[in-house]
Amino acid sequence: MEGVGVLFARPLLCFCGFINEMRNSSVSVILRFLAVVFLATGTSAPAMDQYEQRARALFVEAVVAPESSQSLLLENLVGSAHPCLEPFLQGWQREQIFIYQSPEGSKIPILKVEENQSVRILRVDTGEELKEASGSLAAWNPEWKAVETNSKIRRSLKNTIDLLALGSSSPSDRAAAALKLGLKQSPASLPVLESRLSQETNPSAKAAFLDAIALVSLNSENPDQRTSALQRLGESASLPARDAIKRLADDSTQPPQVSRAAREALQTIDTRIFWIDFFGTVFRGISLGSVLLIVALGLAITFGLMGVINMAHGEIMIVGGYATFVVQCVFGNGLAFAPFGLSMNIPGFGFDPSSAIYQSYFLVALPVAFLSAAATGYVLERGVIRFLYRRPLESLLATWGASLVMQQLFRLIFGPANVPVASPEWINGSLNVEGVLMNYNRLFVIVFAAAVVFGTSLLLTKTPLGLLIRAVMQDRSMAGCMGVPTTKVNTLTFSFGCGLAGLAGAFLSQIGNIGPGTGQTYIVDAFMVVVLGGVGSLTGTVLSALGIGTLDQILQTTLRNPVIGKVLVLAGLIVFLQFKPSGLFSAKSRNLEES
Amino acid sequence: MKKFLHLLSTAALLLAGSLTCHAADSGTVKVGVLHSLSGTMAISETSLRDVLLFAFDEINAKGGVLGKKIEPVVVDGASNWPLFAEKAKQLLEVDKVAVTFGCWTSVSRKSVLPVFEKDNGLLFYPVQYEGEEESQNVIYTAEAVNQQAIPAVDYLLADGKKKFYLIGTDYVYPQTTNLVLLEYLLSKGIPIENIGGGLRKDAEGKVISAGKYTPFGHTDYQQIVAEIKQFASSGDACVINTINGDSNVPFFKEFAASGLTAADCPVASLSLSEDEFRSLPTKDLVGHLGCWAYFMSIDSKENDQFKAAFFKWLKSSTVPGIEKANRVTCSPMVLSYDGVYLWKAAVEKAGSFDVDKVRTVLQSGTITFDGPNGLNTVEKNNHTKKNVYIGETKADGQFKIVKEFSQVYPQPWLKGTFGK
Repeated sequence: MEGVGVLFARPLLCFCGFINEMRNSSVSVILRFLAVVFLATGTSAPAMDQYEQRARALFVEAVVAPESSQSLLLENLVGSAHPCLEPFLQGWQREQIFIYQSPEGSKIPILKVEENQSVRILRVDTGEELKEASGSLAAWNPEWKAVETNSKIRRSLKNTIDLLALGSSSPSDRAAAALKLGLKQSPASLPVLESRLSQETNPSAKAAFLDAIALVSLNSENPDQRTSALQRLGESASLPARDAIKRLADDSTQPPQVSRAAREALQTIDTRIFWIDFFGTVFRGISLGSVLLIVALGLAITFGLMGVINMAHGEIMIVGGYATFVVQCVFGNGLAFAPFGLSMNIPGFGFDPSSAIYQSYFLVALPVAFLSAAATGYVLERGVIRFLYRRPLESLLATWGASLVMQQLFRLIFGPANVPVASPEWINGSLNVEGVLMNYNRLFVIVFAAAVVFGTSLLLTKTPLGLLIRAVMQDRSMAGCMGVPTTKVNTLTFSFGCGLAGLAGAFLSQIGNIGPGTGQTYIVDAFMVVVLGGVGSLTGTVLSALGIGTLDQILQTTLRNPVIGKVLVLAGLIVFLQFKPSGLFSAKSRNLEES
Repeated sequence: MKKFLHLLSTAALLLAGSLTCHAADSGTVKVGVLHSLSGTMAISETSLRDVLLFAFDEINAKGGVLGKKIEPVVVDGASNWPLFAEKAKQLLEVDKVAVTFGCWTSVSRKSVLPVFEKDNGLLFYPVQYEGEEESQNVIYTAEAVNQQAIPAVDYLLADGKKKFYLIGTDYVYPQTTNLVLLEYLLSKGIPIENIGGGLRKDAEGKVISAGKYTPFGHTDYQQIVAEIKQFASSGDACVINTINGDSNVPFFKEFAASGLTAADCPVASLSLSEDEFRSLPTKDLVGHLGCWAYFMSIDSKENDQFKAAFFKWLKSSTVPGIEKANRVTCSPMVLSYDGVYLWKAAVEKAGSFDVDKVRTVLQSGTITFDGPNGLNTVEKNNHTKKNVYIGETKADGQFKIVKEFSQVYPQPWLKGTFGK
């Protein structure tokens, strides 16, 4: 929206202002060209102004019209769309267009632009800031009613914006806009696409324009044109075009050369889909494996190294999740809750949810989650587990009891319903590599899991503390004899394992639920990974997590059933453990009790 | 927890009992409330108990029914389906209630059905369900499939959608609803390859399941969303979502993260109301559709009055453990509330609490109630005729109403009726 200021400072030169704002000569060519295409004639500056006025007038007409006819008026606007309308079209999509009743009684549509702390009010008809009769800038009035939208209006708005996007400065936006236009397969859009293609310099956008033109030509009267269009779409293996091509391939009235071309194109596309699915599945497998790994890593420490069967592991994870929720609320408007009937209030900073500082709450939440889960682990170790190191069965029961107590505490403090944790914007969205989609949050979890594993293994193998930890875990009493403070090391190790669980909880809040019972969902997975990997082996945990994740996703795709993967993996695990009860990587031990 | 809640509900019962004792001169009439107040369904069903108690208090304050005060008997089904049947038996045979309001899940309704039929009880059922049922002992104030799923599909068809992806939780309501939708979509000329999620056929080639199903509490929606993304790449696609509860969060988070938006591929969710939005990050749902017989955002005098009175009642309520903060109203709540008034109207017309007499009056098609959701009429098939609304989710967890279907006649038997 920064462009708006420039736009309206000089309304008569709005178009030029827009261009200046872009600071890009090739864009200015495109925009100038667009204006020509949309406005049919006229290249001199004063003439453009006239078209701009017309576009604004049409837009104002659409805004003040009754809801039922707004969409139609917007469709009519398409032909006269002008780049200066873009901020207003987008503003309407977000319901930021309001109606101002001037003292003379006329309705003036305005756009509300929120910048940092101040609000600017721009008139749609002139692009200038709204002024009172006295000439001073008008102040924002919360009673002004927003012009509402519905899906139909939003679609019309989108169509118009899409058309404007053909001249966008980003090649990927231009490509997407072209493809959308092509999928409508309307012959009317051919001239726009073709003339636009001749101006295009970016190769990928150019390809999209060619695809779009080919898509439109699929409906052409001329069979030769249809065939060449099919060949083009086959060469580019265009996924969106698949449905349209399939229609042609299934249509028995088509001449043989068209049918053949359609079948060939379909085959290339299907081959491409196969590879996309293949690599997509591998990626999703690794990402699921990373989630499992993060969930199981804490347990690999507390169960794998220390031998404590910690049934409260899931709840300790959720402590991290709730910590993330609290941090999010503190960055926002604070949090009021009533544990045990006491009314408590955590004040918030009140940052705007779209501001960068609010968006970074997750980075703050990570250490907070680690520390709060580690603190919980500390209390649990000091209060319960340290009495039970030699009695694994009792520790199982006691930690299970602790997990029930913690679940009830969550209910009392945060309520029985799940708490909503919103993902920051920068973790939303996805990377598209040749059609394989990689969501940022999934990429993040992979990097995050790798970093945590790396850090943990460094800590265990390269630091004095790691040495002590390994010594105590191998033989508690012998380490004690050598002067190692075993109780301290135990507490530290357990807290560290719990802190890792807290990190897992913070991450899970970004892809799923955080509620009192959420921990239970993950506890089985966590134990499964650690047991399969081999108790006490970090490498084993990593390999088993990635293996289980990938296998699950492969089974899901091949058997086309979301549940069967997990069932088969569990069944396979049971069989595997029959033959290799100590897991993939078992720690060699000379201890008589363990062998 | 279960015991504790039992204690609570008993306490509530005693309290309600002692309150009514003061005004017991003209006698009381016992009315059953059968909902899960503990277990997984408690989050949703407790809201229905609250609104029912509110309706009883409202009626009692105006003199009761036939001069008698309503005495609620609240029992806890504890999200345990066989227990529902036992509690129903207790209500009908021990407490001898005149009417029962209750049940949420279809499986709980199916398990109490034989009890109500054997003891000739009367149950008012308020939650959208799959149809294919018409018991003489149940009044369905709920949305039948043609009052929720079908209007949602009609809206999407009118919006120019040509591809429909069906996804749901694996149990009777989504499975049955999607089979009905499959028939409906085919009858509307949507080719079968444009219906996503997969079909399962029996040995004779008859479709026995349409759409993609995940178990309760499923968390990994990567593969499914990737499939939807491919499905939607050619445009004009939408998703009909009957996922229940928690799993909606990972589903919508994955959906948003993969770059799908409500503008490209809207999701019409049939099991998400304002009450569920309280625990969902609504940011990921903005623009997606809901379809119910009531939205909290309905702009009418009756709705404003209802909301104001209910929130006022909540504030001063002495029911132990009742949630007072951040409350909303939603369709199942309002249809429960409507049920109480429809029953009251029928009893007053029949001049008796006798189940057979009340039923005869109810089935005459003359019992109406102008509630927060508009006019409700009990039809001969024990279902109610009412308005149906389509809404778009807003960031504040409310719906913006985009379409209203006025007075839709309920049709519980839809399977096999299309295109013939």
